[in-house]
Amino acid sequence: MAGNPVKRNLSYEFLKGLWDESPIFRQLLGMCPTLAVTTTAINALSMGLATSFVLVCSATIVSFIRKLIPNQVRIASYIVVIATFVTIADLFLKGNFPDISKALGPFVPLIVVNCLILGRAEVFASRHDPFPAFVDALGMGFGFSIALTVLGTVREILGSGTIFGFLNFEPWVIMILPGGAFITLGLLIGLMNMIKERTK
Amino acid sequence: MNKIVRMIVVLGVIGLISGGTLALVYQWALPKIIENQIRETKAAIFKVLPETRSYKKVVKDELTYFECFDDRGERAGTAILCKGNGYQGEIKLMVGVNADFTKFTGLTILEQVETPGLGAKIAERKFFKQFKDLATKPPIAYVKGRPPEKPNQIQAITGATISSRAVVNIINKTVKEWLEIQ
Amino acid sequence: MDLLIIFISAAVVNNFVLIYFLGICPFLGVSNKTEKAFSMGLATTFVMVLAALVTWLINNLILIPFNLPFLQYVSFIIVIASLVQFVEMFIRKTSSTLYRALGIFLPLITTNCAILGLALLAALREYNFIQSVVFGFAAGVGFTLALLIMAGIREELEMAPIPEPFKGAPITLIIAGLLALAFMGFAGLIAG
Repeated sequence: MAGNPVKRNLSYEFLKGLWDESPIFRQLLGMCPTLAVTTTAINALSMGLATSFVLVCSATIVSFIRKLIPNQVRIASYIVVIATFVTIADLFLKGNFPDISKALGPFVPLIVVNCLILGRAEVFASRHDPFPAFVDALGMGFGFSIALTVLGTVREILGSGTIFGFLNFEPWVIMILPGGAFITLGLLIGLMNMIKERTK
Repeated sequence: MNKIVRMIVVLGVIGLISGGTLALVYQWALPKIIENQIRETKAAIFKVLPETRSYKKVVKDELTYFECFDDRGERAGTAILCKGNGYQGEIKLMVGVNADFTKFTGLTILEQVETPGLGAKIAERKFFKQFKDLATKPPIAYVKGRPPEKPNQIQAITGATISSRAVVNIINKTVKEWLEIQ
Repeated sequence: MDLLIIFISAAVVNNFVLIYFLGICPFLGVSNKTEKAFSMGLATTFVMVLAALVTWLINNLILIPFNLPFLQYVSFIIVIASLVQFVEMFIRKTSSTLYRALGIFLPLITTNCAILGLALLAALREYNFIQSVVFGFAAGVGFTLALLIMAGIREELEMAPIPEPFKGAPITLIIAGLLALAFMGFAGLIAG
């Protein structure tokens, strides 16, 4: 038990985002991009990475400046920090990856209102030192990206039938339509609840 | 009082740092963004008027079009930007018209949000290649479920008549307006 | 005619919740009772119209003339957050009935991505002032409509034998999927 509590603590902060507190499947946070951009695996992954970038940067900054900010204006300050990093991510995508930027469209700026980011800033980063805050954000971003990519992969395989060359069946168009997004996510969350029940 | 001053100062400083950082990043990204846009426009023009070597952008009466010139500097034709409503949202496309305004030289879809697998097929070659060599007058018509028999007709995509009709209507409307100001 | 197309497009054809996936959090959270859903929809519509109006002014009177497009996201979100605060204070001072009906929903609206989404889409599409306001109103109507339909269905569902792991969010999402498919029937209303 004695061993190295700090280290175990950190690895827990990182891994909780994957399953126990998976932002999408367990906490139901950040649903807009989850549903909108997961028509293909690559879009989903790009969105996950962009969100993780904003999440990690803003959590670290928020943790650094947490003692300087008066309590009444803390949410406003966090929002400014988050919006700044979102703009940086958006400009970077527009400059270097115009195709991805076009595919994600207005969902890049909408990272600003992803409740996951403000949530982590308020619940975790504003109460911990920069390094744990960084690890926590990294874990959450990782969990978010993985969940998005899973969803994107399922929808791409079923909806376009394109992900592997040898797949050859009539694609279910419904999977890449908005309706398919809701249904896939509903089924995946239900499935995770079932697994959770079984393993209890 | 002290508290309020501190609130304002902190917010002000955060705002200033944020604005300054963004101004710097924007300076860095802007040339790249402009370059991307130019490359995109060039690619679209080349698709509808392959002999184009240089072009000049014209904006007139709410229409945007590009006068295109070939390698000897002679007019190769015009690439016209068109937009209008499709089945689910706005469709943006570009058509090429030859030098004497009589024939279409090509069509490319720039932006569309039609139903994937159905209306989105307007962006596939099989559909848009039908517009090549059609006359600019009279207006283009469409037929359903069989190959076109008369001149200036295209065949609508099965299951996506509304998207196909939208493309035809957008082109007819814009080209008519454009011909009027020539 | 132009305004009618914007209205129909934002309210039903490209419904903010069911087709654009904006405002999913309140859609999942507040859609279990019809009265609550209606109040939430009303409060959101109100803020949406105001947000459309104010962000249009910021964008066209400050950001565009001074060539500051990179401040768009920062300024829009600050404006929306302060707007919600002001509306809350105003309603609390003026009408206690209205405050009791809408008050608790207002703080939730700041992080409702539908509001920021609306401001960004209006700026992206270069709507003029009137068009922006109509767009904001239509988006609110669409949001309320989606919330009300969902709440109606969920009230009926309370009696239904849903498998345990699918209770709550999963079944709501699956129903939302079916609703989204139904809403696709409206597409084509705006075609040229």
